[in-house]
Amino acid sequence: MASTETLQSPEIEYSPLKWRRAWLTMDQNPVAIEFAKTNFGVFILHVGFILALAASGQFSGAALVMVSATLGAIALAPHRRIELLVGASILYVILRPFRIDGWTAVVNLKSQVIESSPYLLQIPAVVLFLFFSALFLRAMHWEKTKRLAKRPLTSLFLIWSVFLITAIMLPKGSLIGAFVWTYVGVMISAIWFLAYAAVDEKAKVKTPLIAKAGMMRPIWGGSSTPLGKGFGYLNKFDSKDTDELAVTRLKALKLAVWGALLAGLWFVMEYFARDVFALPTLITSILATADGTATVGTSWLSLIYNYFLDLVIIAVWGHMIVAVIRMIGYRIPRNSRNPLASRTLAEFWNRYHFYHKELLVDFFFYPAFVRFFKKSPKLRIAFATFCAAGLGNFLFHAARDTHVFADATLMEGLAMFQSTWVYFLALALGLVFSQVNPIKIKPEHGFFCYEILTRLNVCTFFCFVKIFGDITVEGTLAERCQFVLSLFFI
Amino acid sequence: MAQSIQDVVKSMMAARGNTQEITKDEPIFTSGLLDSLAATELMMTLESDFGIDLADADFDISKLDTLADLEGLIGEAA
Repeated sequence: MASTETLQSPEIEYSPLKWRRAWLTMDQNPVAIEFAKTNFGVFILHVGFILALAASGQFSGAALVMVSATLGAIALAPHRRIELLVGASILYVILRPFRIDGWTAVVNLKSQVIESSPYLLQIPAVVLFLFFSALFLRAMHWEKTKRLAKRPLTSLFLIWSVFLITAIMLPKGSLIGAFVWTYVGVMISAIWFLAYAAVDEKAKVKTPLIAKAGMMRPIWGGSSTPLGKGFGYLNKFDSKDTDELAVTRLKALKLAVWGALLAGLWFVMEYFARDVFALPTLITSILATADGTATVGTSWLSLIYNYFLDLVIIAVWGHMIVAVIRMIGYRIPRNSRNPLASRTLAEFWNRYHFYHKELLVDFFFYPAFVRFFKKSPKLRIAFATFCAAGLGNFLFHAARDTHVFADATLMEGLAMFQSTWVYFLALALGLVFSQVNPIKIKPEHGFFCYEILTRLNVCTFFCFVKIFGDITVEGTLAERCQFVLSLFFI
Repeated sequence: MAQSIQDVVKSMMAARGNTQEITKDEPIFTSGLLDSLAATELMMTLESDFGIDLADADFDISKLDTLADLEGLIGEAA
């Protein structure tokens, strides 16, 4: 009631702290909730929300128009939400099927070689993939193909591997070769969405097959990691009535504004680092060390700065996508949740990129955990963690980046993944030790140990593994190792 | 039996400093109330204390996400 009086007061007291508190608690404020239920309130929330999306710089002009139009249409016709969402997502996947620039570049190049438009390759490939998705989901219920339902991810990767091998074997520069490469790119960009749709076939709340098959690139965009998983997951967080929908939309607006503020922070950090202090990026520092032109101080700064920049941009990106999903009415958890508060490596992983961790846990950790080493709890957890953080994580990234094989030999392509082996191995071992032998530091151990040292350990570990974390043609494993040694004057 | 699994979940939440009440249909793991390490603890408890074989190929991890799901799973196995 007190907050109601504050909002209704004709005199606005200058008190930024109170305004901040009122903003942060507006999804619990009855006046704000009632306002968010009115037509005018819905309009204002959507206008504010789209402005925040635009301010974040995470959406291209075309993507912003598509998201705005979809949100507007859903607000006007909420009873047609699924149809509008799926329709917009089908249009989106046809226009922009690839999650990373590598695949777009490959298809552009292939289309130039055969003197065609990339759209003439990608549109038929997407249409074919959508038909395949519907067929795959349907086949899970047929008697002869029921095995698919038991191992959907394995089945999908086997099918995809057949296409990949075919693409590699077909002559470069042929029309059929260009088309199969395009299909491989479309399929791997959406394979985890289809895997979640397959898992949803067992969900209690059934979603029409055509809707599930059409959500291969939801309108909210993002990478190959399905933020919001599939309809089975989204339905668990669906707003049940107008009150919940109003609260969910208020939370969406708050998250979008927070994301836009973090985007501002990221731009400021980038500006000061690159334009004011001329601090090199991490990969530039690695290459400079190999050339013998780097200083140890600059290398340390670029390493630490890279870590914080990465945390901020992942948070911005995840917040904006989750905010769009919430605006549609699904109150799903955030992707990033204060990762700097983590006291263990496992906790960091949970807080840093929640849906990527969920993907690895859902498809690698649990299947390994329920099947292997059941008599030895520690070995069981260690093996399952290794399957998720090591093997699964490597499979995710390596498969996503198979575009490198389109114009390279097998050995050249494999060489590009050399440093990521170290990354995934180090990450997996770190998480295994964190899970199996957690360091139990308690508040009784003192402020420094509990609040600072634990978090510093986590920061240091992830700072260092990031050195090996990106798949690029630049920076060999030897150069990255040399960079690590140079940090300690070796 | 159903009360026991509820107690198991509550004690896991309490061990992580979370004493909030949860309803039977509230997601426990997918919502982040408990993490995946807690899920493994719960799975081991289901195997050891309730005799449930999670290695069955038809087993679906989403069957563990709410108290109602867990009670249903234990009921099926009984």
